[in-house]
Amino acid sequence: MISMGKIRKNVNLWSILSTLIILVIIITNLNIIQNLFNKPNDNWTHIREYLLKDYLINTGLLILFTGVISLIIGTSLGWIITVFEFPLRRIFKWALVLPMAIPPYIGAYTYSGILDYTGIIQIFLRERLGLTINQGYFDIMNIPGAVFIFSILLYPYIYLITKSFLEKQSSSLIENGRVLGNNPFQIFIKILLPISRPAIIGGVSLVVLEVLNDYGVVKYFGIPVFSTAIFKSWFSFGDIDSAIRLSSVLLTIVFFVLILEKILRGRKKYSFSNSKIRPIKRYKIKGISKWIVFLYSLLILSLGFIIPTLQLIRWSIMSFTSVLDYEFIRLIINSISVATITTLLIIIIAIVISNFNRIESGLISKIYSKITSIGYSIPGVVIAMAVILLLVKVDNSLYGVYKIFNSNTPKLVMSTSVFMLIFAYIIRFLAIGFNPIESGFDKIGKQFFEASRTLGKNVTTTFLKVDLIMLKPAIITGFILVFVDILKELPLTLILRPFNFNTLATKSFEYANDEMVQEAAISSMLIIIISAIAIYALFSLENKEVK
Amino acid sequence: MFLNIKDLYFKYNNSKEYTINKLNMNIDRGDVLAILGESGSGKSTILRLIAGLEEPLKGSISLNDNILMDKNTFIMPENREIGMVFQDYALFPHMTVSKNILFGLDKMNKKKKISRLNEVLKLIDMVEYKDRYPHELSGGQQQRIALARAIAPRPSVLLMDEPFSNLDADLKNKIRKELKEILNKADITTIFVTHNKEDARAIANKVIVLDKGIKINKGLVDNII
Repeated sequence: MISMGKIRKNVNLWSILSTLIILVIIITNLNIIQNLFNKPNDNWTHIREYLLKDYLINTGLLILFTGVISLIIGTSLGWIITVFEFPLRRIFKWALVLPMAIPPYIGAYTYSGILDYTGIIQIFLRERLGLTINQGYFDIMNIPGAVFIFSILLYPYIYLITKSFLEKQSSSLIENGRVLGNNPFQIFIKILLPISRPAIIGGVSLVVLEVLNDYGVVKYFGIPVFSTAIFKSWFSFGDIDSAIRLSSVLLTIVFFVLILEKILRGRKKYSFSNSKIRPIKRYKIKGISKWIVFLYSLLILSLGFIIPTLQLIRWSIMSFTSVLDYEFIRLIINSISVATITTLLIIIIAIVISNFNRIESGLISKIYSKITSIGYSIPGVVIAMAVILLLVKVDNSLYGVYKIFNSNTPKLVMSTSVFMLIFAYIIRFLAIGFNPIESGFDKIGKQFFEASRTLGKNVTTTFLKVDLIMLKPAIITGFILVFVDILKELPLTLILRPFNFNTLATKSFEYANDEMVQEAAISSMLIIIISAIAIYALFSLENKEVK
Repeated sequence: MFLNIKDLYFKYNNSKEYTINKLNMNIDRGDVLAILGESGSGKSTILRLIAGLEEPLKGSISLNDNILMDKNTFIMPENREIGMVFQDYALFPHMTVSKNILFGLDKMNKKKKISRLNEVLKLIDMVEYKDRYPHELSGGQQQRIALARAIAPRPSVLLMDEPFSNLDADLKNKIRKELKEILNKADITTIFVTHNKEDARAIANKVIVLDKGIKINKGLVDNII
């Protein structure tokens, strides 16, 4: 039996707010499932018979090859940076994360611009070397091209996770391997790779989810997959039912990926409980090996960041007079203000739920934590549909209330305003803000909270006077991560933005789709610069904390 | 009876067995009680239950005839007027020594706050350390500040969780003596838990021996140890 005392102990501002937020997340996502039970229409029969197979094969190829290639690049770089000492290692260490600053859709149109008939490479070959070029060799707008773009821009997820996992391992592992007669490569394959498996698989699953979420690359390259098909069913054919069915197939793939991740990770959690571990000591490699390692790092960095960025800078110089105008300033204001407002809201919500979870720390908190993190696994297109369906319903039921305030009110208020976009961002990116803040609370522990309670402060005062200040690094990390993700976001923004509302991301995508890649460069560069600064700031923050 | 615990049961979420199993105990005003037991005997849990940081399954706790918890009541930790010194002190790292001590004195006016701050700093003989941050203090000094912070709001009862566990052997004897003096001067009912008989002998006047959440012996220190 639940006593009154127990109820009073557990019901407070934090628990009520957390429960409300969790309910909103559940209701939004249930909308998709609820609509699945409608009777399928002719359109769906057509899609199922003729198109679904292609969507499945294309999606399968993209996630399989991107997964494998980014796995190879990410783990090899993570290993090289942790284990070897070579020229410019300290710069590579953080610079190799920079490809993350380039959203894949920007990478896609930049690379196809570099490689097409009027691009810098073909001009050079044609005009300087007088070569006749087979266009087939330079066509990147296909599945292998998309795999290249995804792999070279998304590998940092795996690199980062492998690097930070290996950095925490003990030197004795490697030394033991050497004493037993293994060379560095054998140690990597036989010891380091197996112990990093859970971390690496976590990274790969993030990459795969990013590929499933993508709309920009596949649309620009004309590859039919689920996200483009959902878009088309809905906006070209006005067929919401089929769009929902496609979404549910896509969601099934997502859940399959998540289950596979869980199975592959297994129950193995290798970490050192001993706090006295000696960090891995790096080998000083000499001779040709040193330069091979250096050139490999430089090649990946060039492909993932330097080359596309240089191309974008060149285009920016060519197009800035025609692009920089009042309209462009509006784009910046729109992007920054929507990203700032949403990020603040996400951070507040993340703090509320993670503080509640810390206080509660039982089954409920585990469930809340899972639900909060769910949004990041669901592709943007699907979230966009769920949010529209929900808010149109809410608008319909609130029409009477709107009328009290304004007799000429249109029926759809929330679902035609920027509110809808912000709401959808929150559902999608909550996990990004939640994770660092939850681990921030974990790091602080419960002792200061309890000390404050015994000194006469309630949960809220304790939070404001004690936790908030100690949580500052985690809040800054969460803020930067969410802000950058929103700034780069494309599918949600394309679908849910109000009429005539553009952001840097949507504008660059629009320009690129209208074959105006040079005009797209400046807004793309702005996104990349802000993201690159953010990545650097995060790195400095991490180093400061370690010190 | 100043503090009365009756038929108290407690179990952690992930545990099958009771951590506290039908515990009954009374403490008189002014007592310094040691709860003695091996690790895992549930001794720290008793302090957490008295402070309101954990919620018992059954039973009741009352202090000075006011019910702190029973099946209908649960007074929140911040309203119990019970001071606690944590095992690792839990001094707020972003606050100076003075700020840490002033933290629990919000209900007093400014003048009273300052005078109480100086009073407890004198009591623990650390007036000159008031502007230092916790990380600038030694382990023994941190412990004294944690004690000062806990007694500053004049709680009805002071709880101390393994007060000597973080100190090295040389320091222990000195701190035991100091602590006994401070507690005498402060005249405060105190419960502390320890696994060390010497700690109990040095400071307490009464002792309870605990094993697997069950009280197996109680009485005056001289009779038990």
